[in-house]
Amino acid sequence: MRRRLTFLIAGAYAIFVVGYGVRGKAQQLAAPSSPALAASQPAAPQSSADPASPGAAQQAVVKRYCYTCHNDKLKSGGLALTALDISAPAKNIESWEKVVRKLGTGAMPPAKMPRPDKATADSLVRYLETALDRAALDNPNPGRPGLQRLNRTEYKNAIRDLLSLDIDVASLLPADTAGYGFDNNADALTLSPALTERYLNAAAKISQVALERPRGMPTPETFFEPTDRSEAGRFSDEMPFGTRGGLAIHYVFPADGDYLIETHPKENGANDGFENFSTEIHQLDIAIDSVNILSAGLGGPEWSGRNRLGPKRIENEQKMLEKMKVVVHVKGGEHLVQAYFAAKTATVPEDLFDPSVRREPYRPVGGVPKLSWLRITGPLSGTASISTDTESRRRVLICSPSSATDETCAKRIISTLARRAYRHPVSDGEMEVLLLRYRAGAKEGGFESGIEMALRKVLLSPKFLFRLESQPPNVAANTPYRVSDIDLASRLSFFIWSSIPDDTLLDLAAKGTLHQPEVMRQQVTRMLADPKSQALVDNFAGQWLQVRNVQTHQPSPETLFHFDDNLRKALEEEMRLFFASIIRENRPITDLLDANYTFLNERLAKHYGIPGVIGQDFRRVTLPEDSVRGGLLGKGAILMSTSYPNRTSVVIRGKWILENVFGTPPPPPPPNVPALAEEKDPRKVLPMREQMAAHRANPVCAGCHSQMDQLGFALENFDAIGEWREIYPSGIRVDASGQLPDGSKFNGPVELRKVLREHSDQFVTTAAEKLLTYALGRGLEACDTPALRAIKRGSAGDNYRFESLIQRIVVSVPFTERMSVEMSNHLAQLKLEPKGR
Amino acid sequence: MIITKLALPRRTFLRGMGAAVALPFLDAMVPALSAESKGAPRFATVYIGNGANMSQWTPSAEGANFELSPTLSGIKDFRDRLSVFTGLDNFPGTDQGDVGGQHPRSAPGFMSAVHAKPTEGADLQAGTTIDQIIASKICTDTKLPSLETTVDRIDVVGACDHGYACAYMNCMSWKTPTTPLPSETNPRFIFERMFGVGSTVQERLTRAKEDRSLLDELTEEIADLRRSVGARDRAKLTEYFDAVRDVEQRIVKAESTNSDFSVPDQPVGVPGTFKEYVELLFDLQALAFQADITRVSTLMMARENTGRAYPEIGVPEAHHATSHHDNNPAKLAAYAKINAYHVQMLNYFLKKLDSIPDGNGTLLDRTAVVMGSGMSDGNVHNNYSVPVIVVGGKSLGFRGNRHVRYPKGTPLANLMLGMTDRYGVHIDKFGNSNAAIDLTTI
Repeated sequence: MRRRLTFLIAGAYAIFVVGYGVRGKAQQLAAPSSPALAASQPAAPQSSADPASPGAAQQAVVKRYCYTCHNDKLKSGGLALTALDISAPAKNIESWEKVVRKLGTGAMPPAKMPRPDKATADSLVRYLETALDRAALDNPNPGRPGLQRLNRTEYKNAIRDLLSLDIDVASLLPADTAGYGFDNNADALTLSPALTERYLNAAAKISQVALERPRGMPTPETFFEPTDRSEAGRFSDEMPFGTRGGLAIHYVFPADGDYLIETHPKENGANDGFENFSTEIHQLDIAIDSVNILSAGLGGPEWSGRNRLGPKRIENEQKMLEKMKVVVHVKGGEHLVQAYFAAKTATVPEDLFDPSVRREPYRPVGGVPKLSWLRITGPLSGTASISTDTESRRRVLICSPSSATDETCAKRIISTLARRAYRHPVSDGEMEVLLLRYRAGAKEGGFESGIEMALRKVLLSPKFLFRLESQPPNVAANTPYRVSDIDLASRLSFFIWSSIPDDTLLDLAAKGTLHQPEVMRQQVTRMLADPKSQALVDNFAGQWLQVRNVQTHQPSPETLFHFDDNLRKALEEEMRLFFASIIRENRPITDLLDANYTFLNERLAKHYGIPGVIGQDFRRVTLPEDSVRGGLLGKGAILMSTSYPNRTSVVIRGKWILENVFGTPPPPPPPNVPALAEEKDPRKVLPMREQMAAHRANPVCAGCHSQMDQLGFALENFDAIGEWREIYPSGIRVDASGQLPDGSKFNGPVELRKVLREHSDQFVTTAAEKLLTYALGRGLEACDTPALRAIKRGSAGDNYRFESLIQRIVVSVPFTERMSVEMSNHLAQLKLEPKGR
Repeated sequence: MIITKLALPRRTFLRGMGAAVALPFLDAMVPALSAESKGAPRFATVYIGNGANMSQWTPSAEGANFELSPTLSGIKDFRDRLSVFTGLDNFPGTDQGDVGGQHPRSAPGFMSAVHAKPTEGADLQAGTTIDQIIASKICTDTKLPSLETTVDRIDVVGACDHGYACAYMNCMSWKTPTTPLPSETNPRFIFERMFGVGSTVQERLTRAKEDRSLLDELTEEIADLRRSVGARDRAKLTEYFDAVRDVEQRIVKAESTNSDFSVPDQPVGVPGTFKEYVELLFDLQALAFQADITRVSTLMMARENTGRAYPEIGVPEAHHATSHHDNNPAKLAAYAKINAYHVQMLNYFLKKLDSIPDGNGTLLDRTAVVMGSGMSDGNVHNNYSVPVIVVGGKSLGFRGNRHVRYPKGTPLANLMLGMTDRYGVHIDKFGNSNAAIDLTTI
């Protein structure tokens, strides 16, 4: 214990000296010691400024163009500039950063007010940026991240990496609330008694399953088939050819034993019994890892039109259910459970594109029997035995004890687990606490029971559930310091993998070399290449681009009857593959706006009207230059999640572009928006475009809607699920023309794409902002803006390729440093030793 | 309490489930249950976001002879126990100079009569909500302090207002002005909270014992850690510490009060339709009241700003978009349809509570059920004269068969303050209240 502490402190000191000794004098940074710093170096101040009074000329510009509104009396937009000294912008960072942003994006001065010419505005922006960046170098403010709790996704990934166990986390933990657009936001991740109970249950269940030691009566787990999934054909790659519909579930069987697997046919909600069964026999198969374990012929004479709802209905249904279940011996560990019907040419294919076959929401008719759910129960009592060679047992039980009293092996196992789970070398004190648990468990049920108990404790520890960071000793309060290599390892892995660091990162951190620029660079490259970086697609992009919402979006079955679960899955997959291609191929982030390729399967290609894509596998498809599907704004996932269930909304789509492309989210609508004039006659209700025009005629609304609506208009050819249309259902022709306040005109998505491309610099800023927000787990503040500029500058030379953005973020001040806090009792290190028990 | 009896055999229960998995799954079990409480009072709140079409909600006549409005006709069977309040203002929900936040402020205003602070950070603040004030009085010896439920997923991206933490819209209950209580969406989690984990008495007991000792050690570990971090981190760890203590104490309490209450089978997951989902959550709440696991519950039946569409009642348009009706007659009709649908859902709960004997009456006699919204006309985000009704609570002195209209400027908080009084909570003020409405004489 003592030795490790000393080591950590020494490590922290070393970092302190290397990373910190040069701070305080900006000149010294003129000869930077690392490439990272060189790239972050701001441009030299403009020589045009009056040397006697730096900024006098700039002050005049501000006075001339800004004071009219931004004075102490009016304080338009909450900003008053009259009292501020432009020669020392560092004194009013927040105000001046606002000026930089508004002026730099051309948002200010507002239309119809005198505007400086571009050179003048640019010069002012450059002057302010330079001064602000320099001030940030002199007095860096990395901010203070709040204490982050692992969110549900991170918890799931941590369990995967710690125990080689894939858990269905939604059945264990509730979803987390987001802050600043991401659910890894420290402030939003609160902890309640209800959640603590979930953690207790999760820890117990996971430690049992990891060691294949389930106890108690089996809990049935039920898996539902989405009611709107089309079962016309083979559903996924995990289904054999010649099958239709069904379910494929990756299930972790908690032990060797007998399991009951039941399936249930889809029922008609109107109490018409099991749907679509008749005298014709349909074959239902159940398989585990593609090995058939049940084949049942369902249907027959008792299912004739007359009999199926007759007096023997209950008996018939009971008989069918008996045929649809099976008890089977399964080895513990993860297996693929499949249930499906054999495809038959004789069955009537349901055509989702034909509205006449749909009679009510989500219920195609004239079709074939389907599954409603599949349930797994087990191991059935008395049949369970410990499986000796599951992946998670191999991962955890790295040795076996030589005798009942031998603790060497237990120590090895527990310290390995704890080091990975706590993300730091484990102290003797920490080990002692865990060993107490081990001994208590071992006494009751032997070696493995002891390990299980220790693991259960690890999973409840605040050191696992929270991302605690240490502070070196003797740092004065409110001083920036470099975080330790141990903490840096966690920052990296939670950013790129949404998970705990692996042994490589922990080893480098323990050696104290992780922070070295070359080591960091290599590690980031390695981490991005690792499949675990898929987390950036699912969590980062899934939230930034709001693709996560596709899962819950419910298009109206009345107007969009041809939407089904298969299309939903395809839309998600396209976005996932598209964003992943930017990462995997290290493409410029701006490719998101206009890449000329996408990923399609037959279902989606049909939806998009793109010929020549056959089969349900996804493949890369190159798009013609004028394709409406190029870039983010051609993707059905985004077009759908920015629509209402039954119609499109130019406002929501326009707002999405302002927020996620331009990075200038519109302010919320003012309170008590005056209602539009009442129109009692529904026939006289104006078409959408005229309605919106009336809306914009209101000066209260016009400010924002003149931008939002116009951007949205360009996408009107895409309906509420992203399908192309030329006319509205009402018969009116779609008009996709629009014009921005700066005068740029466009018609349709292809031209809009060109406009966006012209704003690609703003898009890069937005992307960097979102990435940094996600990386830090907190909302950005004015003091982070110099870091953002450094990230952009640093990756500009590389055309803003994805990896270079990430590389710059991980060496930025807010990512590598932290503002010190006053310690409650001046303990230098997290006190790791528990009270003696 | 530790549940010592197993309910009906699992097979019996499973057999009854079809495509509609969440059909009143507990009904089959009810005969096996035995009422536990000794006539204790209960309190339930149901929140509906996005306001209401008030012209269809508000009865025209006042007093005992009012005629049920179209929207409220779904609970006509309970008219004798229904009080409709008109003219009560959710003034704390108004903007008061803040930018945006009309939706985030509405529910905290309704439930706590406090103006929510505009922030996305950790410094979020509203007020202790009515349900929690009552719970702190009447749930001191129940297994759970209260039950918070919702049908809206909180992991939808971009559904919170800029400048306002998501908690303002996601959470109906605030334990303290700075601690919102997350609402549970997963029926199985609610079930496990209520009954614990395990299928035999022995299993439940073993588990409770293990958990208690783990939690006990955990409090020490957190306390130690807490001493060595800065103030902000310490607050977070304290949150964990308090939660751990809370759970630990509840387990101790459960272990000490044995009950022979039978445990019904657990629900399998989230039902596929809104109706089934709401009914299941109401089933669980009724069961929690019946078994005296808790006496206070909330259900967010529609979160503020919710985009849920209701094709099943002929409203394919999103709820929030419908509430911005622009006085379009078709949209106004759809808006009223949604409101009426929610009231029908409430009817299910009322019927359920009324069917369960409790003491010498029914559970509904001992439960005041409040339903309402923090907005009236959603079109303009109006917080004045919000829709609010109270049903049941006869044995607590609540009168029914009333439509009462209050003069302009009467705070909604006056009703809440009057309510606390019926539960033996004697406070002088609730948020912006300026008097208490006496619910026994109205």
